[in-house]
Amino acid sequence: MKSIIEKTLEKLPILFFTFISLIFLTPIILILTSLFQGYSDSWQHLFQTVLAEYLTNTTILVAGVSIGVFVLGVSSAWIVTTCDFKGKKIFKWALILPLAIPPYIMAYAFTGLFDSGGTMNNVVNSIFNIDENYNFFPSVRNLGGAITIFSFTLYPYVYLIAQTAFTNQSRDVFDIARTLGLSKKSTFYKLALPLARPSIIAGLMIVAMETISDFGAVEHFAIPTFTSGIFRTWFGMNDIVTAKQLAAVLFIFFLSFLLIEKYSRKKIQFNLSLTTNRELVPIKLYGLKSLLATIFCSIPILIGFLIPITQLLYWTISFNLEYFDLNFVYSAINTISLALISGIFCVSVSIIVNYLLRMKENRPLSLINKAISSGYGIPGVVLALGVLDLFSLINIFTDTMLIGSVFGLILIYSIKFYALPNSSIESGFRKINKSVDDAALSLGSTKLNLLKRIHLPMLKNSSLIALLLISIEVIKELPATLILRPFNFDTLSVSAYMFASDERMVEAAAPSIAIVIVSLIPILLLIKILDRNKNE
Amino acid sequence: MNKLKLDRITHTYSGKKILDNLSLEILEGEIVCLIGESGTGKTTLLRIIAGLERQEGGSVLLDNEIISNQSSHLETHKRNIGLVLQERALFPHLNVLENIIFGMDGTKEEKINRCDELLSLFKILKYKNSFPHSLSGGEQQRVALARALAPNPKIILMDEPFNGLDRALKFSLRIDTKKILKQNNTTALIVSHDFNDGLTCADKLAIVSEGRITQIGKPKDVVLNPLNKDIKKQFICETGDMLYWKSVIESETT
Repeated sequence: MKSIIEKTLEKLPILFFTFISLIFLTPIILILTSLFQGYSDSWQHLFQTVLAEYLTNTTILVAGVSIGVFVLGVSSAWIVTTCDFKGKKIFKWALILPLAIPPYIMAYAFTGLFDSGGTMNNVVNSIFNIDENYNFFPSVRNLGGAITIFSFTLYPYVYLIAQTAFTNQSRDVFDIARTLGLSKKSTFYKLALPLARPSIIAGLMIVAMETISDFGAVEHFAIPTFTSGIFRTWFGMNDIVTAKQLAAVLFIFFLSFLLIEKYSRKKIQFNLSLTTNRELVPIKLYGLKSLLATIFCSIPILIGFLIPITQLLYWTISFNLEYFDLNFVYSAINTISLALISGIFCVSVSIIVNYLLRMKENRPLSLINKAISSGYGIPGVVLALGVLDLFSLINIFTDTMLIGSVFGLILIYSIKFYALPNSSIESGFRKINKSVDDAALSLGSTKLNLLKRIHLPMLKNSSLIALLLISIEVIKELPATLILRPFNFDTLSVSAYMFASDERMVEAAAPSIAIVIVSLIPILLLIKILDRNKNE
Repeated sequence: MNKLKLDRITHTYSGKKILDNLSLEILEGEIVCLIGESGTGKTTLLRIIAGLERQEGGSVLLDNEIISNQSSHLETHKRNIGLVLQERALFPHLNVLENIIFGMDGTKEEKINRCDELLSLFKILKYKNSFPHSLSGGEQQRVALARALAPNPKIILMDEPFNGLDRALKFSLRIDTKKILKQNNTTALIVSHDFNDGLTCADKLAIVSEGRITQIGKPKDVVLNPLNKDIKKQFICETGDMLYWKSVIESETT
């Protein structure tokens, strides 16, 4: 007969999953329930005035950015994978660097560069001796400007995914296609692109979600979008219920988007293991062709990284060194601590979840894991509203005040970014052959020992990658942090936003550059680890 | 008439000379099997003929026209040469029909008719709309062969086409392949390390060793009169029983 302790231990996985799904999914469910509350007059006002504009702007923005990141990400990935040219080794990782700059910081830098009296206009005016009030460059505070800054900051998502897809394509398939009459150029359109299509679509989906979720950049450019509309309804019209209902509509839109994408990917799913791992042999480029490849790959790094960094550094060093005071140190410590705590929490949860699923395959639990990973697609502002609702409920039932505490931030980062560590840990576990478990168990190891002595050491790299991935996102996150941060608790992103929203761009430069530097650390570490893994 | 002529082909790979003045002539409609151990440059030779690599010395002639030498090099996609690889390299995102018509010219109806004809020949018509990953290894190899034959190539090159298949499947696929190649009067060059491939499929066996052809002739001549001990040893290793093959060939001759 089983003892009570044994029975309880058997139920532990279910209890763990229930607890995690409750805290991860309740905020989302609470937002959805707002749809069943009464609809205020604000809806009529929204319909008559701004709702159409929100939708139009959001659609144009997403379409424009998708085209932009497709052109930048896919073409640079193709060139870097299939050609050998000057500086290729540097470009391979340097093309990821714009990932360190969140769109809102790029927006601050771009306004400083191209606004009336901005650096670029001043440079042109002084070179050509033009009147100092003349604006050579068009304003960037419009949809075109927003599409540009989103494209140049978000293309690395597509670049990374497309590069992996192209690298995994087999040389044999291309050789056969050539013998069947395909020229070198047409192999790209007729073979490489269709083969990489599922991966590229996944990359574009991430970019579309990031674009729709953005608040900082569109707010700075004063472009009314659906997400900024939620903020305006809440703070401008003082109507939190309508704001939640708008958030629920956005969530349903996201969910349908995700399901359509998943369905379409399922339809075109094909087994790449059919193709062998004989990698493509890069074509050596000489002379003009090599120069053109170098120029083409330099453009995204120049516009997406070097130029904005130079502008921010110029502002910081020239006018703003005194910002690096004790407050800055606190903001930086807050940011790094939040990134580490949320990261460690998420990595631990994903290790436990995936370990339990490995030990006992269970469809409902596996579905729960998928459900709690869906937070990545939900805008921070939507989740923040849900977390506030959850905390209100906790306050009502337990008299515990969590609103305005750091828990809110850790919880929201975990819900929003859990998918990142989960995918890394999941693939880490997949790489460990199940016969290793059998061998350890047959040698007398307990299940807990198996995790401690076999799985955890073997998951070291995956865990580190997971931690770095989530850290990069937490450091850059703005809208949720803005809503849920405790009173007088500043992070680097909040400091930058505060200055920028008052149009104090020079002051905003210092926290902005700090965000970039702090984000760069995990990005560079990530590049190093991924490179090492590849070489192994 | 010569379909393919290789004239003193020389090539080095990672500093090692893997093809050393190799010459070979293949007649129209002839099936030649190039036998050699791993690393003897067989695959490289196929890649050179297909135009995927360029030889350091010598010429490749197709239909008595130079398609590659020191001064000129016709690009792969303009050569109309079929290629079948051991790995099959089917396009995973296309179904069987789409794979087969990939390199074909003509109207849609013509392409579909040709595809049906080839699939019937290879006895896989029912898989016309299936995707490669749902097919077995043997079925995939049949699709790869059909795809290479579909554009009516001047010559078909096969690199270890029966490798990785079980014995019974290998046997039936060899027989079918020979039958179909002969029906279409297709010239073929098969590269293999397995004597059985050559004995079952080829009109001629060519033994390649140290970058050049050491013996060439009808299969029975090569088997009955191996030029040196190495060929004899290799033959016994691959087929297991030389006496058995000798008796098969002798009974065929008588």
